[in-house]
Amino acid sequence: MKAVSLKISQVQVAAGGRKILDVGELNIGSGEFIAITGTNGAGKSTLMKVCCGLIKPNQGSVVFNDIDIYKATGWRQSNLRKHIGYIPQSAEYNAELPFTVSEVVAMGPTASKPLLRRLNSNDRETIDYWIGQVGLSDRKKQTFRSLSGGQQQKVLIARAMATEPGVLMFDEPCSNLDFNWKYQITEMIDKLYQTNKMTVLMVCHEINLLPQSCNRVILLHDGKVVADGDKEKVINSQAIRDAYQCEMETVKIGGRDYIINKGI
Amino acid sequence: MDPFFYLVIYAGAIAGASCGLLGVYIVGMRMPFIGTCISHAAMAGTIWASVLGINPTAGALVASVATAVSLTAIKPGKTKLDTNVGLAILFSLMLGLTFLGMGLVTGSRSEVLSLLWGSILYVQKEKAIVITIFALILAVFVWLFNKEMKVLLFSRSMAQATGVHSGFVYCSFLGLCGIILAVNLPLIGGLMIFSLITNPAASAYQLCRGHRWVVIMSITLGVATTMIGFGISYFFDLPTGACIVIVSTMIFGAAVLYRRVINSRD
Repeated sequence: MKAVSLKISQVQVAAGGRKILDVGELNIGSGEFIAITGTNGAGKSTLMKVCCGLIKPNQGSVVFNDIDIYKATGWRQSNLRKHIGYIPQSAEYNAELPFTVSEVVAMGPTASKPLLRRLNSNDRETIDYWIGQVGLSDRKKQTFRSLSGGQQQKVLIARAMATEPGVLMFDEPCSNLDFNWKYQITEMIDKLYQTNKMTVLMVCHEINLLPQSCNRVILLHDGKVVADGDKEKVINSQAIRDAYQCEMETVKIGGRDYIINKGI
Repeated sequence: MDPFFYLVIYAGAIAGASCGLLGVYIVGMRMPFIGTCISHAAMAGTIWASVLGINPTAGALVASVATAVSLTAIKPGKTKLDTNVGLAILFSLMLGLTFLGMGLVTGSRSEVLSLLWGSILYVQKEKAIVITIFALILAVFVWLFNKEMKVLLFSRSMAQATGVHSGFVYCSFLGLCGIILAVNLPLIGGLMIFSLITNPAASAYQLCRGHRWVVIMSITLGVATTMIGFGISYFFDLPTGACIVIVSTMIFGAAVLYRRVINSRD
């Protein structure tokens, strides 16, 4: 898999007569691990969906390896999207259907297969390999709906990895998980990144969950990028205090950064 | 048993099988009301074809396919509208067009009203052949696009984001859905279509593990439902449609009970 670069220029998304995203220039280099954070309604998920081609901006461009995803049409756009491994929030998938773990992971290679072409033995090997990598080999015949939230997240990660993506996009991968699962999932993302060196974009509320490999944080507030840079600098910046409208202090415990609210 | 009844049983089995197969995707995509909506679109198409003096079947087909395909305008993440809300809006429009057409038509309205209830006991050989051909086309379609249809069932937005050819497959499926419903309507009616699409598939989703088994079970239950319904109707001299609808609901109830008992097997 080859990591992809993204260039976001002058992107604006409006809804209900209000700009919900207004980003000037944002360059995401190939192989970077970037966290997108900010308050509720700051535009994090919108930015993620703009990047993966799900929300067409009112203006601006999103360039994937020199090709504008919104100018490419039909099959060309479809081919461009095959580089994306997208892990959405739970509301965006149908977890009640009795798909088995194998079937869900097999949906990954489906993207890279042309229409009318069936999955072959190589695809089956890839599927089994990634189920093994996330530690669910003994559950591959079990239904997705019978798994815990954390295990379901692992299945979705395996599904995304089975596409051999150039960029992995996570939309709050740890929401609705207990603290132990949150750490397990972020550790897994960190390990995958270090092994495969693809580009990673991760929408995340909790700074303490950001993996060690994540060295750049983009802070959004009211749809605008208010800070972008080194993780340490952004989480200690005045911009983050202004965005959350509170006094805060950052403490490091076990190599992870925790933000403590000192009051409004 | 009268020989004509064999054709009725055959047509019922084909309608049950095609509705069972269609239901796997319609129920899975959470839009069971498409059956009711399309049946009213077919009614509106039939009556407006009568008003305009063109072939009623062609009118029903065009209205059904156009209504089904128009649902592709509702896109996840882009349209702030649930598919079921879109179906409700289309349903009310079709109902309005039907009543408006009824006010304008000068001849008999019985053909239109029969679409709501169907008339399987009066099935002709030609109609049985037509529904068989379209049932086979549907089976071939879901076999060819099985992998894409599974992704669409799981998540349309995930399919779209990762480059699955979701637009083409979804649009083709909805178009085919409109045709299947339109050709089955004169035989089994809107009410029975609604129940045959929803109940066997919903039961199969309760009972099975894995998509393939859901498809097999839903088709089997669709056929079984119509056969049991016919049997009860024949031997106890009861209305056929009502028997089929009640049997399909009872099968769903049994499936829910079964799932509660063996939930740990999932």
